[in-house]
Amino acid sequence: MFRNKTYNRRKILLVFTMVMLVLCVLAGRLVYLMVFCSQYYGQKAEDLHERERDIKAARGKILDTNGVVLATNRTVCTISVIHSQIEEPEKIIQVLVKELGMEEAEVRKRVEKVSSIERVKSNVDKETGDRIRACKLSGVKVDEDYKRYYPYDSLASKVLGFTGGDNQGIIGLEVKYEEYLKGTSGKILTLTDARGVEIENAGERRQEPIDGNNLHLSLDYNIQMYCEQAAKRVMEQKSADSVAVIVMNPQNGEIMAMVNLPEFNLNEPFTLVETPKPEQPEETESSDEAESSEGTQETSVVQNAENTQDLLNQMWRNQCINDTYEPGSIFKVITAASALEEGVVTVNDNFFCPGYKMVEDRRIRCAKAGGHGAETFTQGIMNSCNPVFIEVGLRLGVDNFYKYFKQFGLLNKTGIDLPGEAVTIMHKKENVGPVELATISFGQSFQITPIQLATTVSSIINGGERVIPHFGVDIQDTQGNIVKTFTYNTGKQIVSKETSETMRGLLEKVVSEGGGNRAYIEGYSIGGKTATSQTLPRSAHRYISAFMGFAPAENPKVLTLVIVNNPQGTYYGGMIAAPVVKDIYTNILPYLGIERDEVVQEESDSSQ
Amino acid sequence: MGREQSQDKRQKNIRYFDYSLLVIILFLICFGLVMLYSTSSYNAQLKFGDGTAYLRKQLQATVIGLVVMFAISKIDYRIWKKFWLLAYIGAFGLCTLVLFVGSELNGAKRWLKIGPLSIQPSEIAKLAIIVFLASIISEMPKQMGKFSSLIKVMIMVMPMVIIVASENLSTAIIILGIAVALVFVSSPKYMQFVVMAGVVIVFGAAFIMLESYRAERLKIWLNPEKYEKGFQTLQGLYAIGSGGLFGKGLGASMQKLGFVPEAQNDMIFSIICEELGLFGAICVILLFGILIWRFMVIANNAQDLYGALLVTGVMAHIAIQVILNIAVVTNTIPNTGISLPLISYGGTSVLFLLAEIGLVLSVSRGIRLEQE
Repeated sequence: MFRNKTYNRRKILLVFTMVMLVLCVLAGRLVYLMVFCSQYYGQKAEDLHERERDIKAARGKILDTNGVVLATNRTVCTISVIHSQIEEPEKIIQVLVKELGMEEAEVRKRVEKVSSIERVKSNVDKETGDRIRACKLSGVKVDEDYKRYYPYDSLASKVLGFTGGDNQGIIGLEVKYEEYLKGTSGKILTLTDARGVEIENAGERRQEPIDGNNLHLSLDYNIQMYCEQAAKRVMEQKSADSVAVIVMNPQNGEIMAMVNLPEFNLNEPFTLVETPKPEQPEETESSDEAESSEGTQETSVVQNAENTQDLLNQMWRNQCINDTYEPGSIFKVITAASALEEGVVTVNDNFFCPGYKMVEDRRIRCAKAGGHGAETFTQGIMNSCNPVFIEVGLRLGVDNFYKYFKQFGLLNKTGIDLPGEAVTIMHKKENVGPVELATISFGQSFQITPIQLATTVSSIINGGERVIPHFGVDIQDTQGNIVKTFTYNTGKQIVSKETSETMRGLLEKVVSEGGGNRAYIEGYSIGGKTATSQTLPRSAHRYISAFMGFAPAENPKVLTLVIVNNPQGTYYGGMIAAPVVKDIYTNILPYLGIERDEVVQEESDSSQ
Repeated sequence: MGREQSQDKRQKNIRYFDYSLLVIILFLICFGLVMLYSTSSYNAQLKFGDGTAYLRKQLQATVIGLVVMFAISKIDYRIWKKFWLLAYIGAFGLCTLVLFVGSELNGAKRWLKIGPLSIQPSEIAKLAIIVFLASIISEMPKQMGKFSSLIKVMIMVMPMVIIVASENLSTAIIILGIAVALVFVSSPKYMQFVVMAGVVIVFGAAFIMLESYRAERLKIWLNPEKYEKGFQTLQGLYAIGSGGLFGKGLGASMQKLGFVPEAQNDMIFSIICEELGLFGAICVILLFGILIWRFMVIANNAQDLYGALLVTGVMAHIAIQVILNIAVVTNTIPNTGISLPLISYGGTSVLFLLAEIGLVLSVSRGIRLEQE
């Protein structure tokens, strides 16, 4: 037996010391990792463990002027599958195919795809979602979510617009006010293990969504409703292609109603609406039309895939804003205002209408074939006499005319708070000869949008201040507090107060005594102007009947423009469109608190 | 020394027993079982549908190990001197056998199945090499100063190292390390070892450079985030880093949920760091430090050179494994599979470690306090 020598002990101590030193180094390394790198690695680990899911924010509502909800949200479900948690794939496929009505192959592809989470279908009804949830299939996730809902289906469809799959605005006000309406989506952060399974009781971190703000409009549900009904009546009676109505406050540009028939269902914006022409076969006059439209329907079936999007875009078009047309005689208001402002004519100037007017080598006819004979400027407007306005236009000259177009803001966009506003199509100034000048004077050979026409006329009759047409009044939070008020103020005086007053008087006479008498309502002073224009090509003999009317004539509070596109049979604006305005005003003037005024009637009587 | 005799002597000569070592061992085992349960329950639930599966297996091995430890501590350690050849040949035989009939797990043949038990012969080899070398060296302490006997001892160890290395390089390194430690302690010289260390470093470098996959390991070590194979290392670092000063709390580790693969095995220290923080990790290192200190005290006070060498072998074994394991987990050295003694999952490992502790306790009994 050998003793444990001193050098053995010293070496054991040396080994021990070395081990301790190494352990100290390792402890130092741990301090470095766990104190100085802790944040870096900790963050990386957290990123690895956390799964993020979005919580959609509720989109803001759209309210009419009285607070009637025009667009709101409905709870819907999103169905997703989490691959790693699926236990019975066949059963899941079977249930999803049955409940969601999807192709089996499509569902199978989603279910069998190796991904952390796969969306199968969104915008599923809450009831369907509840039924799927009740099946308690592991690996199937049902998330509740919001979908846009429009309580009045087609009301003001082309104005309000609708939203897409991600709740983003696609057309109309939904697009224009996206930033206010959409809100900020929240997040759910959950912890998962390496397989992506959420850990129970881990406590999820939630970042609450901020709901979108409500948009408060100047649009009035009741007025919109009256106007749609009135427009529908005239469209059916006259078998018109489409009818547009704009009702606005000429003083500040607030739009109270904007109808674009045919409207479409906002809750099903991707379902094509067949142009409603219920009495087609009975209408002998429109038989050609019916055949051709049937033809289009057939082709649409054949070329469905390619055409659907075009047809949808066509269906979504807001003709008051997106389309231009020849304004016809209503434009005489602008010609008259320019001429009066420039002083080239007075209301009592005398004219003579032989039924036509020669401009250079062209003979331009008046609507009345026999001519109006001798007449004053006032009577010229009342009769909507083309030769009078050709004469006035020629007196005004190209330079002055264009000066006023510019001054009136006619060549720019109106700045309405809707997307896709079309711009005026006007001759180039250097190309305008006497013939062009003559046609422009009575509203032909160029195109403007209905909203531009209504806005310009509003600005002329309201005392001369250019207004910006608009729907958005203010933005309110969910409690109804005003977050932001929109201001629309150009401060531009486009005609003098005197000219404006003269114009109001002239236009009042058009209704009380002239061509717009079908819009006359006893007890009200209404100003207005008729228009009948022929669309291009002229050979098609398609007409647009229109009427612009405002009330009360002395201090206009409401201005209405009705445009009936391609009415069958009679097509004169005074015959077709003026009664529609009368119909609308009979209903909405009392509603707007504009009382029948006996004094006004006496005044107009005395002037007769 | 008969038992009756020693009991008679108790009145006069106080017989020593290292209770502090026993307490530390029991504490480490209990701590190890708690941590094992914490890290393994998720994997066990997934694999066996029972969260306690790993814990129960480990508990069985621990109980057997404790019985063995107490038994061995009661037996005079000098008896084992007679078994040096048997230990060597037996362990060598088992290590050879495992190459042919071993069952594979994770692509390595390391387990021998005997009925319901499966044992890892390389763990036995460590104990065998300690007993074997301690016996041989303690018989020829005078010659240990010579370089030739040094070589002779190393040559005797080599067959075992090579046979183990063919399947389990890490264990072979540990065996080699134990051998070097024993030779170092028994030799009065220093220079020889400095030269040897130099030679080992040169050959080691050549060894790494020759095989491209080892060079790749080096690159992964330096930059674990850029390589796919650095995944395990990186996950370990995430776990350690997210622990911070005081950790997430016992059982609150996220990384054990499948991110650190087989968290209950070699990477268990990273989960300890995550759950108990820097504080807990330093405590664990401190515990091992105290353990190794007790080994040193016992080795230095052993009755004879054989006892001292036995304890030194055990000390070298545990110290090397603790150092290498923590170094790997903290990415201080390139990745290699070494478990943390008494804490990592592994029945054979804990059983034979406890047997080694039994040997140390037995040596501690031989210390006579009166001598000092």
